Amino acid sequence: MIADMRDALQAVLGPISEPVLLPGGASKEAWAVDADGRRLLVRRAAGGVIHRHTLSLRDEFAVLQAAHAAGVKVPEPVLYIEDLDGREAFVMERIEGETIGRRIVRIPVPERLPLQMAEELAKIHALPPEELPFLEEAPIDRLADELDEVGEPHPAIELGLWWLRENRPPLREPVVVHGDFRIGNLVVDESGLVGVLDWEFAHLDDPARDLSFALVRAWRFGVPHLRLGGIADAEPYLDRYNDLTGFDVRPEELDYWELAGNVAWAVGCLTQAQRHLSGHDRSVELAILGRLGAEVEYEICHLLERHGVT
Amino acid sequence: MSERPTADELAEAIEEFLAGEVLPTLDDQRARFRMLVALNALGIVRRELAKLPPEDDAEQRELAARIRRGDVPAGTLALVKADVEERLKVASPRYLDRYPDGD
Repeated sequence: MIADMRDALQAVLGPISEPVLLPGGASKEAWAVDADGRRLLVRRAAGGVIHRHTLSLRDEFAVLQAAHAAGVKVPEPVLYIEDLDGREAFVMERIEGETIGRRIVRIPVPERLPLQMAEELAKIHALPPEELPFLEEAPIDRLADELDEVGEPHPAIELGLWWLRENRPPLREPVVVHGDFRIGNLVVDESGLVGVLDWEFAHLDDPARDLSFALVRAWRFGVPHLRLGGIADAEPYLDRYNDLTGFDVRPEELDYWELAGNVAWAVGCLTQAQRHLSGHDRSVELAILGRLGAEVEYEICHLLERHGVT
Repeated sequence: MSERPTADELAEAIEEFLAGEVLPTLDDQRARFRMLVALNALGIVRRELAKLPPEDDAEQRELAARIRRGDVPAGTLALVKADVEERLKVASPRYLDRYPDGD
């Protein structure tokens, strides 16, 4: 496998170091390789697809290019490869830093990180949608369809969906959003945020939804009282974002979309478990998410209580 | 209440992982032997589980369908939350301990 990969990469990149397959990522492979003195990362399709609404690698590469051109902190996109040893792939710069959420909240958090997160989002939300015509909207009603496809009864998720239908804030004009903007998808070093990764969920949406995703409790990595990904309170992040965009996102909108983010992740846990149960992608890690989703359902109940539901 | 993966489906996932991914990496003869014994024991657990009657999820299905129709009388959340708590006591018992500091 490694020899095939080396030959295939050498054909497009020239002489390279021995490619190393990095751990994680059932739907995409990540290979670290150096070529011509550059540290590169090759993202290549694997067997599974996390979500049928994810972008193809070709489209993800185009989003990365647009983000890079607009000055968003992203790995520099290098090359799209339609057929790399039989599968679609792209090459980008490999940036150094911490990428695992649990580690980020245990190193001293760079003081500016919450503000930098707001600054990157402001730039992302200003990307020109007309340059990315393949991006689609992702209405929250789609979550109910995905839950129906799983086919299991989950009253807590239903309650979350019900509340979201009943309390919808006035919709904002859709903008280009990252779609999975949370601590686990950021590269951080001692200076702060150095890169925003994993653009496969990019789509068009209410900017407040994208802004709120990083608040979901499952991604606070053991520091639950710090609402922004276990690193900080939400207010300075929200204020900085509003200062930069003029969107004037209200705290109530953050609350609404935080609940929506929890509902999305609760459904996500079930669909991940389905990848195992369907036989498509057998793995204990995926299987156990079917049960750990109960944690997210509990958080949905907790948030609904705070909204006065009984 | 029916939960996926079921206990047997979880045991099956563990069995596949141990037999397919861990066993082939074990060089130590003693560890290999004990892994085979452990897989045997897991087989017993699975056959024991297979004898249990399937769980009935009719009540949960009805509740879920009712909420989908927007029929959510007062007290529904308390009922649902109590059920989620019961599932968490099995799936992730320490999770509930972390809650007060999140308020």
